[in-house]
Amino acid sequence: MKNRLPGLIIPLLLLLWWILITGEGSDTLLPSPAEVFSILVHPFRDQISTGSLIWSMTVSLVRITLGFSLAVTIGIPIGLMMGASTHVRKFLSLMIEMARPLSAIALLPLSIILFKSETLSQFLGMSYLRYQKHLLNEMQLGMIFILFWGGVFPIILGTIQGVRSVRKLHLEAAKVLGARKTFVFRHVMIPSALPDIFHGLKLGIGRCWMVIIAAEMLPGTNSGIGYLIRYSYQLSRYDIMLACLVIVAIIGAFFSKGLEALGEKSLVLRSRER
Amino acid sequence: MRALSVTGLVKTFREKSGDVHALGPVSIDVPQGSFLCVLGPTGCGKTTLLRTIAGLEIPDSGSVELMIRTNGRQPVVGYVFQQGALFPWMSIYANVEFPLSARGNIDRITRRQRVEAILDMVGLSDFSSSYPHQLSGGMQQRAALARSLVMQPDILLLDEPFSSLDTRTSQDLQENLRNTWKEAATTVVFVTHSIEEAVYLAGEVVVLGHRPGRIVRRQTIDLPDPRSRLSPEFTEYLVSLRRTFEELVEEPE
Ligand SMILES: Nc1ncnc2c1ncn2[C@@H]1O[C@H](COP(=O)(O)OP(=O)(O)O)[C@@H](O)[C@H]1O
Ligand SMILES: [Mg+2]
Repeated sequence: MKNRLPGLIIPLLLLLWWILITGEGSDTLLPSPAEVFSILVHPFRDQISTGSLIWSMTVSLVRITLGFSLAVTIGIPIGLMMGASTHVRKFLSLMIEMARPLSAIALLPLSIILFKSETLSQFLGMSYLRYQKHLLNEMQLGMIFILFWGGVFPIILGTIQGVRSVRKLHLEAAKVLGARKTFVFRHVMIPSALPDIFHGLKLGIGRCWMVIIAAEMLPGTNSGIGYLIRYSYQLSRYDIMLACLVIVAIIGAFFSKGLEALGEKSLVLRSRER
Repeated sequence: MRALSVTGLVKTFREKSGDVHALGPVSIDVPQGSFLCVLGPTGCGKTTLLRTIAGLEIPDSGSVELMIRTNGRQPVVGYVFQQGALFPWMSIYANVEFPLSARGNIDRITRRQRVEAILDMVGLSDFSSSYPHQLSGGMQQRAALARSLVMQPDILLLDEPFSSLDTRTSQDLQENLRNTWKEAATTVVFVTHSIEEAVYLAGEVVVLGHRPGRIVRRQTIDLPDPRSRLSPEFTEYLVSLRRTFEELVEEPE
């Protein structure tokens, strides 16, 4: 029989939540599930003058996409090089181990110093956008930096792990079949590494969703789901706050599961050797 | 004319727990176009010998010389691993095409023709888009063989390629291989611990003793094709080689 526990947990939590707020003499500030639900079913309604939930989600999604893409385009090549070359690995690993524990929050001041409050539209020289409500105006470089930081390390580590898990037998087979280094890299190392790379990507995107809250704490921010969580809290609008948490949880899981599914096929092929 | 000359080959593995003298000294001349079987008990250094010939191990001393006449181009050495070593993320077609794409100087159409011809020869045409894990062990080994044959090797090295298969499949593939060898007129060095396999396949058998492997006997197998495992001559070779096998003594370290 299939394990039904995971499916039961969510209704149970909802029940617990409902009991908590309606219980005799309950003085909790928590809104009821119904109140939160009523926020969620009006995704186009303006919430406390920050725009609609859809707008907040879109802004955050685009930010994460930018930060994560940057993390991927930088993390994978670094991981590949570190995995393939002992020299590069020795050279970079200390740096990476030092950088890795620095949390996104710890980096807020640094990113302010580095990027001030410059946005992507300014960076791209599109100053004519300044007074419009445009997505590019919401993309602060410091945010992209923090999101990049959050996502890049799992990607690097996953890629290294993947390249290093290439089987010696396959490398030798490629060699006796006359393949040169670059060909081996492209057609043996990378395919062998794919399952671990995807695992790194999955952890990376999860991390990005965790640090979006921190990223959207940057001064001058007035949009995004992370910002909305903080702002609604300040205004004691816990219904909105909880609705945002639900959204982050759902989208985050959606991203992880998507990457997991992509990685699944490569994993199946790699592990089904006899 | 010699295709391959191995002279005074010695290989010792340096391990933390001590040195393992795995092979030699061994000297073998392999005539061009011959089918040589290296026969020996498990652990006597057969794989080590073959890997050293293929350049996968560096010998402590001695030399491996390829002397095949190839009109100036590099001689092509094929190698079939004991465990096939197919790439699990590639289809059978892509696996067999691998050595041709890796060389990069063969156009797509020629590649396709050669891959299809070889797959047809080993009877895997219907499985070209399958993945290795979808095939039986015997089919996987045939695919591995095809992947080496597609390079049109001047010399083909095989390390117990059929030892993990059942008797029936193994015998089919032996017959297949011997026919291929005759058609392709290539040179084959085949490593095995099975006396019967060696007698069935070989033009000449070289017997290695227990580790460190050294040659204890060389035997020409003079049997007409098609070879029958039941003929008296076949049995005679079998018994005679078995006797040699049983007389092998393990040297104390
Ligand atoms: N890479 C290695 N490192 C250490 N010892 C090895 C290595 N490869 C083989 N040996 C040892 O060398 C001996 C010969 O091995 P091998 O050539 O594989 O024998 P065979 O193929 O005849 O069974 C064995 O005792 C084996 O344990
Ligand atoms: Mg062996």
